[in-house]
Amino acid sequence: MAPPRPPDRFPAGPRYRSYLLFGMGSALMLPLGFELLCALWALASGDAAWREFQAGLRHPLRIAGHAVAGVWLTWVALRFFRLFPKTQPFRLGPFRRPPDWLLVGGLYGVFAAASLALGLWLAGRIGGLG
Amino acid sequence: MAEHTKIIAVTRFDPERDDAPRSQEYEVPVQEDWKVLEALNYIKDHLDPTLSHRWSCRMAVCGSCGMNVNGEPKLTCREPLSNYGERVEVAPLANFPVVRDLVVELEGFLEKLGALKPWIMLAKQRAPEEGATRQSPAELADFKQFSMCINCMLCYAACPVVANEPDFLGPAALATAHRYNLDSRDEGAAQRAEIMRGEGGVFSCSYANECAEVCPKNVDPAGAIQQAKLANVLSWARSFVVRRRAAS
Amino acid sequence: MDSVLHYDIVIVGGGAAGLRAAIAVAEADPQLRVALVSKVYPMRSHTVSAEGGAAAVARADDSLEAHAYDTVKGSDFLGDQPVIQYFVERAPEELVRLEHWGCPWSRNDDGTVATRAFGGMTTKRTWFATDKVGFHILHTLFQTSLRYERIERLDEHFVTKLLVQDGRCGGVAALDIRSGETRAVLGRAVILATGGGGRAWPFTTNGAIKTGDGMALAYRAGLALKDMEFVQYHPTGLPGTGILITEAARGEGGHLKNAEGERFLITRDYGVGQKAELGPRDMISRAITQEIAAGRGVSLPGKTGEFAHLDLRHLGAAKIDSRLPFVRELARTYIGVDPVHEPIPVRPVLHYMMGGVDTDIDGATQIAGLYAAGETACVSLNGANRLGSNSLTECLVFGARSGAHSAAHVREADAPPEAALVESARAAEAELEALRGRQGGGETVAQLRDAMTRAMEEGTGVYREQAGMRRAAAQIAELGGRFAQLRLQDGSRVFNTEITAALELRNLLDVAAAVTVAAAERRESRGAHACSDYPERNDGEYLHHSLVRLGDSGPVFDKKPVELGIWEPEERKY
Ligand SMILES: Cc1cc2nc3c(=O)[nH]c(=O)nc-3n(C[C@H](O)[C@H](O)[C@H](O)COP(=O)(O)OP(=O)(O)OC[C@H]3O[C@@H](n4cnc5c(N)ncnc54)[C@H](O)[C@@H]3O)c2cc1C
Ligand code: SF4
Ligand code: FES
Repeated sequence: MAPPRPPDRFPAGPRYRSYLLFGMGSALMLPLGFELLCALWALASGDAAWREFQAGLRHPLRIAGHAVAGVWLTWVALRFFRLFPKTQPFRLGPFRRPPDWLLVGGLYGVFAAASLALGLWLAGRIGGLG
Repeated sequence: MAEHTKIIAVTRFDPERDDAPRSQEYEVPVQEDWKVLEALNYIKDHLDPTLSHRWSCRMAVCGSCGMNVNGEPKLTCREPLSNYGERVEVAPLANFPVVRDLVVELEGFLEKLGALKPWIMLAKQRAPEEGATRQSPAELADFKQFSMCINCMLCYAACPVVANEPDFLGPAALATAHRYNLDSRDEGAAQRAEIMRGEGGVFSCSYANECAEVCPKNVDPAGAIQQAKLANVLSWARSFVVRRRAAS
Repeated sequence: MDSVLHYDIVIVGGGAAGLRAAIAVAEADPQLRVALVSKVYPMRSHTVSAEGGAAAVARADDSLEAHAYDTVKGSDFLGDQPVIQYFVERAPEELVRLEHWGCPWSRNDDGTVATRAFGGMTTKRTWFATDKVGFHILHTLFQTSLRYERIERLDEHFVTKLLVQDGRCGGVAALDIRSGETRAVLGRAVILATGGGGRAWPFTTNGAIKTGDGMALAYRAGLALKDMEFVQYHPTGLPGTGILITEAARGEGGHLKNAEGERFLITRDYGVGQKAELGPRDMISRAITQEIAAGRGVSLPGKTGEFAHLDLRHLGAAKIDSRLPFVRELARTYIGVDPVHEPIPVRPVLHYMMGGVDTDIDGATQIAGLYAAGETACVSLNGANRLGSNSLTECLVFGARSGAHSAAHVREADAPPEAALVESARAAEAELEALRGRQGGGETVAQLRDAMTRAMEEGTGVYREQAGMRRAAAQIAELGGRFAQLRLQDGSRVFNTEITAALELRNLLDVAAAVTVAAAERRESRGAHACSDYPERNDGEYLHHSLVRLGDSGPVFDKKPVELGIWEPEERKY
């Protein structure tokens, strides 16, 4: 017998690109998680440390990193929205699962509303700072 | 019917002669409405009787004829040749050991399927005299989609988790187990739970969704597995609460 | 011989009949070790392709007597009535068992099992799971069989010979296709459940594996094949491939039309009367053939031959999708026609063999310890014409019965001497070795097979005539001789499908010999056997079963009386 062959053009083929992008996201999660820890530590160590941490955030590399993470997270969210409906049981008690478009639409709605709220809040904050 | 020729590049492997699989090209006069399988049968009958491939029903229901066509897992008796260009590559399904040519080893799958107890389990067996169980059309719809699997193995050939983790029970077997769990006539979910939650069970799945993309019967094993994850978490949580309550 | 394996009962075949028999043995006596030998994984068996349904009385307005009478009349009075009686009585129980095992039968709103109309049945008594009934039955049985540890599968093992000693069957010789190893699989009883042999014809609904193996194995062991001239042409096969469009399409209300758009079963007299599209298959296949002969067939660009139209458009997309989704999928995929918008072109296609290994009502044959069930057997349920949806139920009822009887048999019987059985298996092995990669000067498997299917199509079509049947019988005998010169090129032991194809061809040639010889002996028209030169049924001379045995110099013809009962033969009119 010949040993199993991995799927053709694995892992670079188009079939696996989105799956791998999704998986590789964990590489982004690691530094982000570390950053969060640093932020908490800075907060706990008093005003000076916190300000220093905030200053560090302005570094162009950090901004770029956050932009990439933002794009990636949005993409993960959208992929999840598409795949979400079928993770739900066909029926809960007497209720049938709502149609896919409704579930996906609902998720997009919540996403849009949350983004808007966050955006407004941030705009207010940034405006307030200025 | 208009005829022209295509090059069919077939992966050949005879363990008695070859160290490793190799490719062999055949020039096949094809007809416009042919499926990929018909080209393989033409080779077998007219060009090279030593080619080995499995097929039987040629109507997309027996599940024998799954192969990788130009790198994608396909049911060859259903896949039109006209979808492809002048050169078509046919290889055995990925992720399976190859017995010979286009024939792969399925024993592993059958073991996994059997381990998941894909049969109706009841505390007390029903007797035929009791007559047919009632099941509403809604209850039937709860599991019908997951009962449509023809065991063609395309999903295993597409799954990146299967590629990395050979012990993963895999899409079709898990979908079948979940199908029984969802059946209003079954009481066996608790007995299937240990293996479904265990090593290589539903939680090995990272929801690549490739199985659902390639499934020719719209079974959506990916959906079944995610639903099974949810159901398993809920039942685990429930058992935890019940145990706590019983203890207090 | 690479290995000798010991079991109590050996079942050859993993279709509906074989699996049901295996479960019956396991239920009768959980101590018995069962070998389930199949040349393909059980779930690939051709039972998987059955679409329309399985018959059993289920409704309050139906009766066992009505089911029995429909079956007797459908059989053109050649079915054995005690067998039919037993069949209709056990049918409901068998389908209920499948329900308990998880078969997803389609349901009425109140949760009871739904039934649909089928050809030749006077009321709705065909249970269905949309239009994938065989698929669901087969997977339900297969998955249920997995719970019994004592059912041990020998998958992808090709049985090449029955091991018979002193009139007793003691096992089979088998080739493990994957490894190329040969095995003697011994047991005190053997059940043949190998299905039909539609692949002897070129245009058939049957899959590649339906090569009459069990019939040929029994025939070469000296047993009689019964009623082999009766082969069923299903009215509605797809052009080119022969893929079946189920009778359920008409059961749900579909119409057959000619090129002029006329529902010829109503406008002309083809003997089906008010039943129209729900008449029995033999009559409707003849009607289509006559319409085509009269120049009212539909022609298709790029396809040879002419067709009738099966029109489902008036059913509407919703009904087609809920009741006939597979029909829609098949028509779109294999002929590029969406039945919601266009009529489906169809023509009669070889579908089913009413004949088979002669058995009694227990499935027992003339060799002690050898049983047969399902399409490979002829227990005389179907007579000269099977009613659609009776055969899946037949597999269950008689699979179960032969399983139970073989279990009882092995309690008493002792095994024939092992040495003699292994010796006999060695002989089969030697034959196999001689065949592998044999450089005979003659034709390839494919060439000889084409010659055979052509002869069968010409000699044993929807309509036959004496001269044609005799010619076919002679041709088949001659082709049988040419098998000895076959040229094989694959010398490998591993998954050598050239050698299995050759073995299958040899089996088909034996089946074809029995069909043509029996056909030429029946100078009347009855059920599916329509003789142009003898257009009437002749109860005076031919109300008997035909038997064909393998003699020293070829097939030998014989006959056997029909067991009547309640109903005397009468004119078959609908
Ligand atoms: C397209 C189609 C549609 C049909 N629809 C209906 C329907 O709607 N209703 C109905 O009642 N009937 C229907 N029929 C008929 C019915 O499906 C068959 O008669 C029935 O399924 C036969 O079952 P079986 O168990 O006898 O054989 P099969 O299912 O054919 O199984 C034969 C088994 O024997 C094994 N085998 C054969 N030869 C060997 C060998 N040499 N060594 C080892 N193993 C061997 C095979 O591997 C297989 O497992 C249909 C038939 C066809 C072709
Ligand atoms: S789930 Fe789909 S792809 Fe996987 S084996 Fe079943 S039918 Fe094939
Ligand atoms: S040959 Fe049966 S699924 Fe393709």
